[in-house]
This record gives sequence, structure tokens and C-alpha cells, in this order.
Amino acid sequence: MRAQVESTAQGGSANGDARQPRLDKLNAEAPRYGKVTHLGTLPFGPALKIERFTLNNGLSVLLVEDHAAPVVAYHVWFRVGSRHERQGKTGLAHLFEHLMFNEVEGLPAGEFDRKMEEAGAESNASTWLDWTQYNEAIPKDQLSLVIELEALRMSRLVLREPQVASEKEVVANERRYRVDDDVEGAVNELLWKTAFQTHAYHWPTIGWMSDIEGFTVDDCVDFYRTYYSPNNATVVVVGDVSEAQLLRELSAAYGEIPPAELPLEDVRPEPPQVDERRVEVTQPTTTQKLVVGYKSPGIGDFDHPALSLLSEVLFGGRASRVYKRLVRDLELCSEVRAFLGPFRDPGLFEIFASARGEHTAEEILKVIDEEMAKVREAPPNADEIDRARARLELGLVAGLETADGKASTIGFYETVLGDPSASFTRLEGMARINQSDLLRAARRYLVESGRSLVLVRPQLATEEEAA
Amino acid sequence: MSARAPEADRRAPLGVITEYSPELPLVNLSLSLRVGSELDPPGKEGLSEVLMRLMRRNAGGRDADDNDRIVDRLGGSLGADVAPSTMGFHASVIARSYQEFVKLLCDTLGEPRFQADEFERLKREIHGELIESLDNDRSLGRRWFRKRLFAGHPYGRPVSGTPESLERLELADALELYQHALVRENLICAFAGEVSPDRAEASAQALRDTLRQGQRSETTSESPRTPDGRRLVIVDKPDRTQTQLLIGCLGTHPKDLDHTALHVANTIFGGTFTARLTQEVRAKRGWSYGAYSSLPFDRCRHAFSMWTHPKADDAGPCLKLELDMLEQWVNQGVTQEELAWAKRYLVRSHAFALDTAAKRVSLKLDAELYQLPPGYYQEYESRVQAVTLDQANDAVRSRISADNLLVTIVGTASDIQGPVEAAIDRLSGSEVVPFDDLS
Repeated sequence: MRAQVESTAQGGSANGDARQPRLDKLNAEAPRYGKVTHLGTLPFGPALKIERFTLNNGLSVLLVEDHAAPVVAYHVWFRVGSRHERQGKTGLAHLFEHLMFNEVEGLPAGEFDRKMEEAGAESNASTWLDWTQYNEAIPKDQLSLVIELEALRMSRLVLREPQVASEKEVVANERRYRVDDDVEGAVNELLWKTAFQTHAYHWPTIGWMSDIEGFTVDDCVDFYRTYYSPNNATVVVVGDVSEAQLLRELSAAYGEIPPAELPLEDVRPEPPQVDERRVEVTQPTTTQKLVVGYKSPGIGDFDHPALSLLSEVLFGGRASRVYKRLVRDLELCSEVRAFLGPFRDPGLFEIFASARGEHTAEEILKVIDEEMAKVREAPPNADEIDRARARLELGLVAGLETADGKASTIGFYETVLGDPSASFTRLEGMARINQSDLLRAARRYLVESGRSLVLVRPQLATEEEAA
Repeated sequence: MSARAPEADRRAPLGVITEYSPELPLVNLSLSLRVGSELDPPGKEGLSEVLMRLMRRNAGGRDADDNDRIVDRLGGSLGADVAPSTMGFHASVIARSYQEFVKLLCDTLGEPRFQADEFERLKREIHGELIESLDNDRSLGRRWFRKRLFAGHPYGRPVSGTPESLERLELADALELYQHALVRENLICAFAGEVSPDRAEASAQALRDTLRQGQRSETTSESPRTPDGRRLVIVDKPDRTQTQLLIGCLGTHPKDLDHTALHVANTIFGGTFTARLTQEVRAKRGWSYGAYSSLPFDRCRHAFSMWTHPKADDAGPCLKLELDMLEQWVNQGVTQEELAWAKRYLVRSHAFALDTAAKRVSLKLDAELYQLPPGYYQEYESRVQAVTLDQANDAVRSRISADNLLVTIVGTASDIQGPVEAAIDRLSGSEVVPFDDLS
């Protein structure tokens, strides 16, 4: 049982009182790997709760009954992302995000999506450094179909040359769209490549183009057998469902899938960065850009929430310190924003700035350096911290309006931190963060020796400039 | 300059839409006007956008920094929206700050300060954003597609203006537009979330009372003209490995008798992941990551468009395939099996247009703003169910043209011009425009 579990089936609710006898009955008739155990109950905000279950093949199940609308969000999160790849085979996790919508046993290519859409489902998937997730939002009366199809593709995916070849081409086009012909995408990729030289965060989730072109069917089969197993996945269900019916159907659908032996994760920690790294490139753009990446803590680190608050103080919204100076007061930039990576291992606190007119990346960097020096010297004042907290609170609450938003939040924190309700506990924790925490975080992370820079020079001149 | 409103007059009709939802401590608000950038005088494109953003910045006579800090402190967000037919503000706020936030919105609507230095700063900012937009190929393609398809119509004018039109804007223009457009009769307030209907209506009344009484603006624009022949615009940008390809013509109007039938037929052609376009372009050939067709609506007839982004080498073959598919759709229509499938998809997935209070309110707001026929959303499912095969195919034949259409492609002209022109049978006109022409 996990440390954060608050109570077990003896919670006194109608579901809790009836649960164990119901599970006993279900388990008596369950398939080999379909026996269900209730592991506990967690609060999810003030009004909802998460019920945690597991099947005896290791599949985790998180359920939030939410009867606000006659819909259900069904997410499957796999604990595999680009960090689990190796050099020469980068982008394989992401390719799978595509292949999983292709042919499964008994359903020719295209039929999976066709059945989902016919059911009224909105389905999609995403891959990042630490995970891959598949999501469906469905009318409540179509849940059985989605359970059946998701279980089918977890164990019965068909991987053949035509499907792999076609999806490789689609992914190559996705890469052209997101990276090769996109200034920000290309520069972001270069920043991570520069900042990480040992850790698997060095390569992009979409993969290097030469790797994408080189994937074979055997690569795909190996990857599928290794990582797409019930004991490497969490099913998150949020919406207008009955717990008893859901568990019965999950047990039946996933209960024949055996667990797999998961490999040791072979990720090497990134050695501490001791000197600034600087790269200069030209890109087909009309203005200079600056991208900065400060080494930042993993999301489970005590300093991560403090750095989140600092990010808001410095870059969150028009009133933030750096935005105000660069865009509003000095008019050096048309755009400035920052992003603190929500990753399991230490990542980057990224800053993107686009210069206005003839202004240079160096001018922008000078201002950023001045502001970083200020927060290393003295912490933000109480008003700035309160505003930063309020912005983060709004962001969290606004992301929970739909069943799908709740399932995404739960699945993400479960997969990365092992705590599905961490969004709320993080927010509560932020109320306890004080100025000393912010000062420590600034001095520890916002330092020049721990950063990488990409300075982008324009390859193009606008008609105005040429004239 | 000041734009304070006169004393309240409660006789004007109150436009307010509310939906209470206690699920989250959050309130979503929209303050929408029945007018948009089509009011910008010719040569002064961007005026509506400058006005809305200026109002947000100098609300209550405060300076922009103060207002930004207030929004953040309250746990709120406040943005300005401008489109050809509508404009306004959208906002969200943590419920505990609701009342104070409404005061800020009252200041935004009724007490903006028209400050010359902020006005000029804003113009410079928008100019910078226009230059920044040159980096985004998809947005470049859409800009030129609208510009050429809707030439001579307000939909073809850039909402954010051009460098030249921004230069021409004067503070007096903004004040004049404010006095003309920001009147009670044009305002619709919508509230969703943890705010009771009574409280929301009181807020709406307070918001409305900040504005003058005036004339409700009526849309005067006529439908855009259909393109003449098959025309090609190449937006020339160096070093493109990929293209952004848009093909289209005029589309639908919500009051068309065949509006729903065309919507269903488009779902079959390019409206979903398993639609014809995605299957042929992406699934079978891998030519484009995205492949969709869309059919938006507005107060006047809007566009039908197909969007793909093949690599430069595939642009010619992909364009030819899409044109062949378009002709086949127009000439041969859809099948009974496809129709039955699309109806099931549309009816079932409609649940996701209604699954939150904010979405339900948004639909009601659209119905008001775009003057949709009565029951447009309430009877959506039954209207979709009622579409027959003949109606769907007649709608495609009468509304979509494979002969009079516009092709816009962003790419490196020296690489793609030959193959792209060769792919278009009966090409009646072709032009190459530089990517950085923001006129």
C-alpha cells in the first residue's frame, strides 16, 4: 500500500461498505490476471475522491466517480517515454503513439479509430520524456467498447511493414512541421541537446530524423513486448460510471493479459554543469531570438514548487518582472515566456524571447541577467508571491473543468510522482513556501554556470528592413 | 481623454446568459459585443483590436501595470477577443474573488482611460506581433487564404491590421469606436460556474449600466463573392522543407436550409480522423501529419477549406490527390453507409459540446451573437438525424465548387511552383507573394 493512501474500504461510504463482498464475488469468477484489489482512497480536491485498485497482473486503476455530466474520460498511461530509448533508436516511444491507432488483431487498419468515432469518442495520445498516454472522452453508454478496444491494443497490436512504413512517413512529416520548419521547435531541440550530454533528455521525444527513417518492424515488436504490459500502465477513469460495473469490465478485458518482465531503466544521471554553454545559429526568421535553459530540479524535488513560483514572479503574465521590462518598458521583445519542466529527473527551466525590430539577443540577455541577479540577491516581496500563487491556483482549477482534464492531471502525477492527487498537495505546499525557499531556489538554480544558451540570428530580412 | 458612461438607464433589454455549476470554485465570464472588426474603417484595420486591448489596460483610469497586478492578485485571467463579427472580453476567476473581479470588469467596460502613450505603445506591440507571426507558416497560409478568398469583404481584412494601417490609427479613432460600439444594446454577458443566476444577473446589470444607451449595431456586410475559376497563391518563404496547403471556396451559412446536411457531408469528407481526407492523405500515403476539412460559420457565408502540410517534394501529388477527391465528393457525393456512420458520430459526440457549464453557456452565447436560427443547438441532434442521403449530396453539389476555388500554399516557390501549378487542371490564375508582405 502506498504511503499517501488515507483510508481503505472501511471508509463508511455506500461503495466502501459494499465493496469487499462485491470484489470477493468478482474475484471468484475472474480470469487468471483479473483479480481486483482495492488499495485505498485519496482525496482529489474538496469534493472528489480517487479510488485506487490493482489487478493481479499489475495494472493500476484509478477511478473518480464524477456525475456532473453523462460522459467518461478513459486514459491509459504507460511508464515509457523517450528517456527509455537509446541512441540510434530515438523517437520509438513517439512512433508507438501512432502505431497504437493502427491495426490490432481482428480489426484492420483504421477500424480502431472508426469504432471509437462511431461511439462518439474524442481520442488522442501524447508522448513526452517520461511517459506515453492514450486518452478517450466518451459518452457514458459507450464505456464498454473503449475498455475492450484499449485492452485489445495493449496486447494484440499488429506490427507489419506497411503500417510501420506509413507511420514513419507521417512522423517524419510531423517532425518537419514541429521542428525542422519551425524556428522555436528547432531551437528548443538544440537547447536540450546542448544542455544534456549524458542523460536521455539529450534527444527529442519525436526523435532524430535519421532514426525515424531507420526504424524496422523488429524494433517496434521489441519495444512493444518490453513496455506495453499491464504492470507498466495505469488506467485512469473519471466520470459518470458505476464502480462495480467498471471493475467487472476491466477484470474481464485485461484479465487475460500477463504481466511482462520490465527491464532495468538504463538512464545515466547528467553530471553537474559547471560552465555556461552557448550556441549561436542562424534560422529563417526575421528577428533575433534567445533561448535559455537553466538546469532545474525534478518535479518531486522540494525546490520544484519554489522554482514554479519564481517562474511566475519573473515571467508569468504581463505584470511579471522580466515580461514587464522586456516587452512593456524597454520594448526589446515582442514575446517572452518561460516554462519549468515537469519531469521526473532534473530538467530545464526554459526561457524563450523574441526580439523586436533590430534589437539583439545580447540586449535581452543583459536584462534577464539583471533580473536573475536581483532574485539571487533578495527574494520577491509578499505581494508578488501571493500573485504567483493565485495564478498557479487558477491554472490548476481551470484545468479540471472537464472529466478529461481531471483524468490528465491524475494520470500525469501518478505516472511521474506515484501520487495521483499531487496537484492539490503541491498547491497546498505552495502556501507554505516562504521567501527563504525562493531565495535558496534562485541561488541554487538560476545561475549562469548551470545554464545553456541558444542565440538565434535572423537569416531573413523583412521587406521593411531591406528597404 | 475620458469615456465615462452616463447615469444608468435600466429600460434597455438585458442580455445575460447564466449557468450555475458548483463543481469547481471557478467562474468563467464573457462580455461580448455584437460587433467586431468589420467596423474598422477602410485603411484603419486593427482599430477594434487596439481599442479592446487598450480598454483592458487602462481600466478604471489606472495604468496597465496596476490592472495586470489586480488581475493576477484576484486569481483571474482577462483577455480581449476580436473577430470580424464580434469582439469582447473573456475572463476566468477563482470564485472567492468574483465580486472584486466584476468591479474590474465594470471599470474595463465603462471607465477606460484613453491614454496617448499607452495607445502608441500598443500599436508598436501589435506591429511587433505581426512581424513575429511571419515565423508561423500555418498562420501565414491562413492569412493569405482569407485575404484572397474574401477579397473586398470584411472577412478578408486582417483583424490585427497591417503595419501601414496601424500607423494611421489615432487615439480619436479609438474613442469614436468606443462611443459607437460600446453601448448597452450591443452587450451580452455570459456567466458559468460557481455564481448563482441572481448574482450573475445583478453583475450583468452593473456591467451594462457602465455603458451608454445607443443603437444596436446591425450587420451590413453582404455575402462574400465566389472565387472565379481555379486560382493559386504561392506564399514564397525560403528554406521550407514542408508546405502549408489550403484549398477552399465559400461554405455555409447557419440559415441555409442545407446547412446541417453540408455539415454532415463535410464530416464524412474531412471532419474526423477516419474521414476520407485523413485516410487518403495521411493513413494510406503518409503525406501529411494533419489532413482535415472545415466548415466554420459566421454572420455571413464563411469558407470551406481543406488543410494539409505535405513535404515540399509531395506538394504537387498531394494537391492533385486532394483536388481529385474534392471533385469526386462534389460529383458523386457520399454513400448511405458513410452517412449513417457520420450521424452516429455527430449525435454521440455532441455530448462533449455540453459537458461543462462553460461550454453550454458558450453555445448559448454563440446563438445570440451569430443570430442563429431558433433551436440551433437544442435541436442539433434531431436535425442531424433527419439528414437524408439526397440532402447531403445536394448540399455538397450546390455549395461546394471544384471549379471555382482558391489554393494557397506556403513554401519555397523555386522548389514547388512548377509541380504545384501542374497539379491544378484548368488553373485560371497564379501569383507568388513574398511571405513578409503584411499589407
